[in-house]
Parts: sequence; structure tokens; C-alpha cells
Amino acid sequence: MIMKCKRVAVLTVMTALCVGIQLTPRPPNVEFTSLICFLTGFLFGAWFGGLLGALTMFINGFLSPWGFAGIIMPFQMLGMALMGLVGGIYRKSLGENFRLSKTLNLEAACLAAFLTLIYDIITNVGFAILFNVEIIVALALGVWFMVVHVVSNTVLFGAVFSSLVKVIGDLAGENVWSYQKEIL
Amino acid sequence: MELSKRNLIMVLLAWLTSISLLSLVAASYYLELHKEKQVCEKYEDMYNELVENYTDLLNSYQNLVQKYESEKQNLTELLEQYQGCIMRVDICIDYGEWNGTVVWYNNTIVPLGCNLLEATKKVAIVNSTYWPAYQASFVDAINGVWNQGACYWMWYRWDTEENLWVYGDCGADRYTLTNNEILMWRYEIPSYP
Repeated sequence: MIMKCKRVAVLTVMTALCVGIQLTPRPPNVEFTSLICFLTGFLFGAWFGGLLGALTMFINGFLSPWGFAGIIMPFQMLGMALMGLVGGIYRKSLGENFRLSKTLNLEAACLAAFLTLIYDIITNVGFAILFNVEIIVALALGVWFMVVHVVSNTVLFGAVFSSLVKVIGDLAGENVWSYQKEIL
Repeated sequence: MELSKRNLIMVLLAWLTSISLLSLVAASYYLELHKEKQVCEKYEDMYNELVENYTDLLNSYQNLVQKYESEKQNLTELLEQYQGCIMRVDICIDYGEWNGTVVWYNNTIVPLGCNLLEATKKVAIVNSTYWPAYQASFVDAINGVWNQGACYWMWYRWDTEENLWVYGDCGADRYTLTNNEILMWRYEIPSYP
């Protein structure tokens, strides 16, 4: 029961953090939510990360300064949930004793680029299906937003991922890894 | 070995992402090119239509110019024919006591042997009364300005030798004009001697 409360608290805090950052004025398609969801998935488990991604995009859909997301919202939730899920899966693939190094940053950057692309493809395809636009046209029209999104996330993950893992690991102590086991 | 496999997967993902993005950029440019091509074709059609319309207009204009030239030539010939039957005079209308306005009608073409009253009627609306006793007409009004009180329309001719205006000494319809003569109507209180 106590652990469940902790999980709820962590999820709430992380969601509030993500939504807060989402609502902060910023250039279009430069965002930190992907990093936080991936990192949460990495630290607290795949399902937890996925849940955070979906919840954040759900709330963001109503409060976004770019307007109500409307029927695109489920696609955004799916894309961001994927980000958190893969964070957890990536953590599992590293095994118990992984080292925080530049390689980790580089790998995280590669994953971020791929996942961001998938996220953008999912949302654009969703848009195309819902508004009866040809998929290739929807993708091609949004390509420069996609490029900005992919490049910014790649740079962000490549620059800070391992540092954030270290900082949060140090702050939370060894408990951080136990959350994941409990959730999974 | 496992690390290498994961690295390979990461490289593959990065490569896949790059290829996808590049393909989408290329697709975007292709769509843009296609759109521009369509716009270009549309403008080309518009341009051709415009050229066609312009050519039609130019042809019409040239025909019109040709007609104008032809008409001008006819009129010039006609004018040359009548050159010996016309003369030119300068007529001045001075509204003096009325409002002080002075209007000149230079190079007014009138028939040879025309009198002042006929010439004035060519440039203004004249009301006159014929007096059989004098066998002459008396001008009552010019352009709606009527003789009133002590003010009358009087006429003058320009004496080229003396370089001064000389009072007309007969009725306007009794005075026959000569070529290049200068005449004046003045609305005034007469000081005729």
C-alpha cells in the first residue's frame, strides 16, 4: 500500500513536471517531455514510463498553448507512451551493471532520434487518417517540424541523458532501481 | 559481443531515421516542385492568354490609328479646300461690370465675309434684337448676362496702327470682319462719345 502511494506520488510529480515544461513558452517542436518520459521509463520501468507519457499528452491535449489537441490526442498519447516504454526496455537490455558513459549518451541519442521520428509519424498519420489527407502529403508537409523535433531531441538526449541518470540515481539512492522491480 | 550487437542496432536505428527523414525531405521538395509546376503552368496559360488578348488589342489599336490617320488626312484635305473660304479672328469677352472676368477665343474660324454678330454667336450664346429703323441688331445679352441699368454690351476693335481699342461705330451685324482681326465685347457703362 505504501509503495503504491509512492508510485502515485512519483507519477503525479513527473506528470506535473512534464505538463509544466510543455506549457512553458518554447520554439515549436522543441520539447523536454520525451526526455523526461524516456528517463522515467529508464529509471522506474517501462509501464511506468509509458503511463507517464500517455498521461502527460492527455493533460497537454487540453492545456496546450497551441490549442486543444482534439482527436489527434490519442495518437500523441500513443507516441509519448512508446517513448516511456522503450526507455524501460532499453534499461532492461543494458542489464544490471551498466556504466554511465558517453556511449550511453550516444545510444540514447540514436534511440531518441528514432523514437521521435516514430512519434511524429504516428501523429502525422493520425492527422492524415482523421482529416482524410494523403499520408505522404501529411508527412511531407510536416517534414521541417519533424526535422527540428528529431534534431533537438537527439542533441538533448546526447547531451544530458547519462548525467541525469547519475544525478537522479545519486538523489534517490539504490531505491530508484527497486521502484522498477515493484512496478514490473 | 552483446555491446557490439546493441551498438549495431543503434547505428541501424540512426541510419533508418536519417534515411526516413531524408526521404521525407525529398518528398516534401518533390511535392513543392509539383505544386510550383502546376502554378507555373497556370501562369504560363494566363500569360499566353494575356499575350493573345494583348495582340488582339494591339491590332484593334492599330486599326483605329489607321482609321484616325485616314480621317485626319480627309479632314486636312477638306480644310485645305476650304482654306480660301475661311478666316481667323480673336474674340475677347470682358464681363467687366458684371464680374470682371475676361475670356479670349483666339483663332476662331469663321467664314469669309462673316460679321461680328455671327462670329460672336460661334463662341457664345447671344441674344439680340433687330432694329429695322437702324437696319442693325442690338445685342441684349451675352452668355446670359443681360443689359441692365446703365450697363450695356459694347464692342471694340483693335486698331493695329494706333495700338489701342476703338469703339465699334455700327451694329455688330453691320460690321464685316477681316482676317486676323481682334475684337472685344465689354460689359460696361458706355462712355461712347
